[in-house]
Amino acid sequence: MRLRLKGGRVLDPANGENGVASGAVRDIEIEDGRIVAATDLKADAEYELGGAVVMAGGIDLHSHIAGGKMNLARLLMQEDRRAFPEMPGNFCGCGGGRAVPTAHATGCRYAELGYTTVFEPAMVGANARGAHLEMADIPNLDTGAYLVLGNDDYFQRLLAAGAAQEQVNAYVGWMIEATQAFAIKIVNPGGINAFKFNARKMDLDEANPHYGVTPRKVLTTLIRAVTELGIPHPIHLHGCNLGVPGNDDTTLATMLATEGRRLHLTHLQFHSYGTEGDKRFSSSAARIAEMVNANPNISVDVGQVMFGQTITASADYMSQYRNRGLASPKKSIGMDIELDAACGVVPFEYKDKSFVNALQWAIGLELFLLVEDPWRIFLTTDHPNGGPFTTYPHLIRLLMDRDFRNAQLATLNKAAQAHTLLGQITREYTLEEIAILTRAAPARILGLTDKGHLGPGAVADIAVHTEDADREAMFSTTRMVFKNGRLIVKDGVVVELAQGTTHVARPDFDRSVEKDMQRWFDEAVGLKAQHFRISDGELRNGAGPTILKCEGGAS
Amino acid sequence: MAEVQTIENVACGFCGLGCDDLTVEVEGRQVRAKAPVCPEAARLLRRLDTADPVARVAGETASETEATEAARQILANARAPLIGGLGVDMAGAGAAVDLAIRFGGVLDHYASEGLFRNYAAAQRTGWLSTTLAEVRNRCDLLLVVGDDPSATWGRLFERFFPATPLFAGANRRVVFLGAAPGEKARGQLAGAQVVHHASDDPVAALEALGTLVAGRRPPGESFGGIGADTLAALAEELRNAHYAVVTWNAAEREDGDLVATRATALVDRLNVTTRAGVFPLGGRDNIIGVNQLLLWRLGYPLRTAVRGQASTHDGTLFATEAALADADVLVWISAFRPEPPPAFAGKIIALAHPETIFDKEPDVLIPVGTPGVDHAGTVFRMDSIVSLPLGALRVATLPSVAEAVRRIAEG
Repeated sequence: MRLRLKGGRVLDPANGENGVASGAVRDIEIEDGRIVAATDLKADAEYELGGAVVMAGGIDLHSHIAGGKMNLARLLMQEDRRAFPEMPGNFCGCGGGRAVPTAHATGCRYAELGYTTVFEPAMVGANARGAHLEMADIPNLDTGAYLVLGNDDYFQRLLAAGAAQEQVNAYVGWMIEATQAFAIKIVNPGGINAFKFNARKMDLDEANPHYGVTPRKVLTTLIRAVTELGIPHPIHLHGCNLGVPGNDDTTLATMLATEGRRLHLTHLQFHSYGTEGDKRFSSSAARIAEMVNANPNISVDVGQVMFGQTITASADYMSQYRNRGLASPKKSIGMDIELDAACGVVPFEYKDKSFVNALQWAIGLELFLLVEDPWRIFLTTDHPNGGPFTTYPHLIRLLMDRDFRNAQLATLNKAAQAHTLLGQITREYTLEEIAILTRAAPARILGLTDKGHLGPGAVADIAVHTEDADREAMFSTTRMVFKNGRLIVKDGVVVELAQGTTHVARPDFDRSVEKDMQRWFDEAVGLKAQHFRISDGELRNGAGPTILKCEGGAS
Repeated sequence: MAEVQTIENVACGFCGLGCDDLTVEVEGRQVRAKAPVCPEAARLLRRLDTADPVARVAGETASETEATEAARQILANARAPLIGGLGVDMAGAGAAVDLAIRFGGVLDHYASEGLFRNYAAAQRTGWLSTTLAEVRNRCDLLLVVGDDPSATWGRLFERFFPATPLFAGANRRVVFLGAAPGEKARGQLAGAQVVHHASDDPVAALEALGTLVAGRRPPGESFGGIGADTLAALAEELRNAHYAVVTWNAAEREDGDLVATRATALVDRLNVTTRAGVFPLGGRDNIIGVNQLLLWRLGYPLRTAVRGQASTHDGTLFATEAALADADVLVWISAFRPEPPPAFAGKIIALAHPETIFDKEPDVLIPVGTPGVDHAGTVFRMDSIVSLPLGALRVATLPSVAEAVRRIAEG
């Protein structure tokens, strides 16, 4: 099957091509689901693009799309489901929802926006099989999941006992393979575990009440493990003290704790709060951005807050328990999970008239605009925590259109306006920078060499947008989206459902850890390790994963 | 004589407790559980070397193709089908949802009454819950509300109380608030201190306990048959516990919704100063997994109707009994056990366990294999977090629910 996309302006920052700036148009050729060098061969289908903007399919590296916490959120927020009924289209009647859309709606809505790959950033090992089953029911998207590690009692015990790094590496490798994970996520390092022992806060150098292990030790040990195992994506860190005024110092200290090793700080907006002003809540975006700019080993995503009703769902039960009084509507779910992790689900409505919410909105945008390198910052709302992913087109316009941004700012809580630099920031993102943030850079930081670009060999995941000065309108509707070379969205409407794949990382590790894992599961967890482990055949209805072999790991 | 094969670490999908350490002997078509096994699993795993029943249409022997075609015809002409029972593994649940999407229909599980009683608390206020491994290792005070659950979950206390928990130490206490623990429970709880407070109204006792934990003394001398001083002492114990857990079976009592609500409120209050969680019992025949799948596929839990490419949920209207009043076709699916369909005047398509005894001959009967015996599958444990892979123990001669349903839906 050969397809030809004719006469598009190709925006492919990974390969240094910017047809939007140069005005040059060219064809893109697809053979059997991959992009190939142009030929004179007859194509099975040709699409005239007439100068439309052609980009690789979008990649979201941090969006909560599957796993038990999302179902708890659905259960708790039936209001959301009722308010947003099924999408039109003769597919399956498979639900709706906005803050917590169903699997079907997630796949379709993302596809409409031109996204073709999304990573679930908080898969709990105990729940991994369920998360994979759910991901298999998401159409049109390739997925993958980051395994939550660091708060599990096995790991805390290893550290408390002074285990050698090799032992930790073997454990991490075993867990990644057993849960079919793509990367390692740390959520509130040690804090979730400490909450089970009734600690209510956990700072970077605070000791776990039972194990005596500090978050710093958790972080540095797992950074080393990921590095030595050769896992492409660095540690994906949800740091200490999420949402706490004054957590800026912790965030800065966390960056320094890496000692130059790679680290990805996720939903940085929630970790950039100072305590200045009469409300003891202020923006530290400038301080934090300066540190990010100065440290090329650090990458971040923002977790932009968008106004309206959403629901927050996190493995950080300690923080979610602290915030449950703010729930709107007033209900929440928390859960300690299997000596492994936890979760907290709290509905939340971000209000533009609220000082704190308005400032959170501004802090996110300040970070976007003050972090200079578009290859190290990623466009996220931490869906659904800061807001649903369906708000991305609006967010893109806020980044690209200063007048629009300032007009929005002028409508917000007055005190918040006075506490942000946002109005003075003149930067406007270019289309190329948006393509970097949403395509090229995530592919690079995830180690996906055949995604996020449009060169020969790339997976033919392609989004075609008609250029529009109103960037929100432009990114709300894609003219065409191709998934593995199949046309799945036409003129903004999903026309076909494609089955995605699940990306997993496969490091080599010392398999002598197996015996110890069996003993641990038998004695402590009360589940057989062999049943915890997910086989390849369990993924994607038997299709199995797409395996990314990790280079440089210890064998 | 076929050789006897011993299979270890077999996972069990029946009661929702998720035991996965069973030893099973297989001899040709025969299956028998050895140890460790509860009576329920022993009964449901046991298979004799008998031929499987064949499909029937209107009581007459039929080929599977004929039965499939007859089922499709009935569904094509149906006005309001109910797809009930739903004792299926995850693949079967997915196929059942596809069937509802293809032909329309209400989806409910035969054991969902307890689930929805728990939702009275979980959906209105939320709750703070915990899972099996946390109970095993952290729980130093377990409050069991209602009847002794050992009759339904034969190995519950064995699973809850291992010999060497990581943290809970030697002073583990179990308080039965309701009926007395039976001999089995006491045996499994030999390492813990067991206390029984007899009560015929545990809701009243729980409510008073919640007030006492909050530091107030409710007016009255006794609550649910338990003296105020006894409850005050228990409240003090709960406050001093490191990790208290409250467990109950909402299905067993008409006021199960109130038990869930009061237990939730109690645990909520405890967490202000210490740690605690609820552990609601349930989970029979993968009801939790089916419910999970409905939530991610349709956005609603069980008791949801799919019609005209859209779904609506109503916990009352679409409960099996109520929905049957409006239904003209019942698709009854029960693969884990020979659970017969409820009385129903309309047409019945049964995808049933081969040992099912019917009061009334179904219009179409397609016998199906059992997940974890005849074919592999996945089921969720009652805590909704952990799921287990079930393996096949013998060569299947019957289709799985997923296979049978897909043939009907895809024709």
